[in-house]
Amino acid sequence: MFNISLFFQYASQYLKTRLTYRVDTAIEILSDLLFQAVNLIFILIVFRHTSFLGGWNRDEIIFIYGFFLVPYALFTSFFNIWDFNDRYIVKGEMDRVLTRPVHSLFQIIMERMELESLFGVITGLVIMGYASVNQGLTFAWYDVLIFMLMVIGGAFIYAGIFISIATIGFWSDSRTDIMPMMYNISNYGRYPVNIYNKVIQFVLTWILPFAFVGVYPASYFLNKEEWYGYAFFTPVMGILFFGVAILLWNVGVKKYRGAGN
Amino acid sequence: MNVIEVQNLRKEFNSYSSRPGLAGAFRDLFTRNYKVHAAVDNISLTVKQGEMVGYIGENGAGKSTTIKMLTGILTPTSGSIIVNGMNPHKQREEFVRTIGVVFGQRSQLWWDIAVQESFRLLKKVYRVSDEDYNHHMGHVIETLEIGPLLNKPVRKLSLGQRMRCELAAALIHNPPLLFLDEPTIGLDVLVKLKIRKFLKEINEQYKTTILLTTHDLTDIEALCERVVLLDEGKIIYDGKLNQLQAHAVEGKQIEFEFLSEIPRTSLPGSDNIQWEQKDATTWLGYINGDEQMVSQLISDVVQRNPIKNVRINEVSTEEIVRKIYEEGLALT
Repeated sequence: MFNISLFFQYASQYLKTRLTYRVDTAIEILSDLLFQAVNLIFILIVFRHTSFLGGWNRDEIIFIYGFFLVPYALFTSFFNIWDFNDRYIVKGEMDRVLTRPVHSLFQIIMERMELESLFGVITGLVIMGYASVNQGLTFAWYDVLIFMLMVIGGAFIYAGIFISIATIGFWSDSRTDIMPMMYNISNYGRYPVNIYNKVIQFVLTWILPFAFVGVYPASYFLNKEEWYGYAFFTPVMGILFFGVAILLWNVGVKKYRGAGN
Repeated sequence: MNVIEVQNLRKEFNSYSSRPGLAGAFRDLFTRNYKVHAAVDNISLTVKQGEMVGYIGENGAGKSTTIKMLTGILTPTSGSIIVNGMNPHKQREEFVRTIGVVFGQRSQLWWDIAVQESFRLLKKVYRVSDEDYNHHMGHVIETLEIGPLLNKPVRKLSLGQRMRCELAAALIHNPPLLFLDEPTIGLDVLVKLKIRKFLKEINEQYKTTILLTTHDLTDIEALCERVVLLDEGKIIYDGKLNQLQAHAVEGKQIEFEFLSEIPRTSLPGSDNIQWEQKDATTWLGYINGDEQMVSQLISDVVQRNPIKNVRINEVSTEEIVRKIYEEGLALT
């Protein structure tokens, strides 16, 4: 309860600062939109040349992309942890975090939130709406709940993977370039996994389960029954990966060596 | 009552030394020369409630590492720490509510937002009630004279202004124990005096225990009765500041400025006195003895020679500490 109210206090503080940099915020939202438009155009161009990709048609792939944007938006809004090593360990900001009576990871999440990324949720919903109308998809009332569950599961998978990678910083003080690589890999989850070879499929399902952020859960809404098993596994994977990440974090904090003055 | 109880505290860091040259770099890829380096080496220390302790040492002597272990940031390699009745690292979240920390080189405040917004966030983080906040912080803000700064963003403050705000921020939850790691670094004399006065005040008013590290030994002279001297991770002195001064310095230095040039022969000579000429009319006398001998010497010199000025130089703590580090400490 305390954590929730603290979270809102941080969020309102964040909004206050963002409002003083209005132009900056607008540009950020705009550049996000542009980035998403480019991705969408890429999909459209691919389907100029073929009408099916591994058995999926154009609108289905667009729907998957739209779905992917929602958990991704949640992830980028609340888990900006990609520069954790530089910012908190090398520069020693972790010292400050550790002298405050709130869980260290939770503090970092609050300090680093970027609420304007939430705009991606709207973009995602619009894209999904467009794709569903094109295909004449219909949804039941409980699909809304399932959608939320899938989205949160997906965001947790993302968060789990990136937090786990960030914890490497507790053990090794050298800079690692895994983060950008991971962002690249995460993009593969936006496309149906069956277009890749078996090894990549396996990796995207069980090792770096980015497929659970896009194609698997989206296939539920696309009525692709052969994927339902995977689709409903999304929240489980989310809790699993997030749980492991927090465990790694709690162990890692004890190994924190601090930065010299 | 002991606020801090530390026993055989030790913190080791693994560092590896790289071999020279490209070939060495390749060898480093496979086998590394790890060296265990004890930044803090079997320290035992107790601090009572209401004490102000100066923690001094050269760079790399282990001051910051000790403070970081006492505040729960770092896990000790071995030894036990009990601060405010808790184990700082194990009970971190509960523990840090009972301490205040100021790192002189690192800000506790949010860079972009106004100081009072930072205070409000911290008030929430430490779960301080409105009532306590108003009662306690009103006084703090007044004494540190930061009222007019409250609605400015931190990035627009000068270092002195920021430091006073940092200090106030560390006191939002009115902690019974305060850790200050170089709180006066880079500050001008006026701000330093203000901060010292304030620290004395809260120490008297709330019986706040203060552990202070600084390179500016005048801070220590002004505030601390007790000093702990650290060298290469070991405590080399723990006791009263004036005792350190009394022990570490043999005798006194007296500076005589004469009206005209004086040859060495017209100055009294004895085993306990050494003379050194500073310039044509000024001689420095180093005397190995007590006040009695000092006054004897002065009267001898003054009777024989026309004098312009006499000064007895107290040796500053700074010099004492420098001497200790250069020559080692004779006591303990």
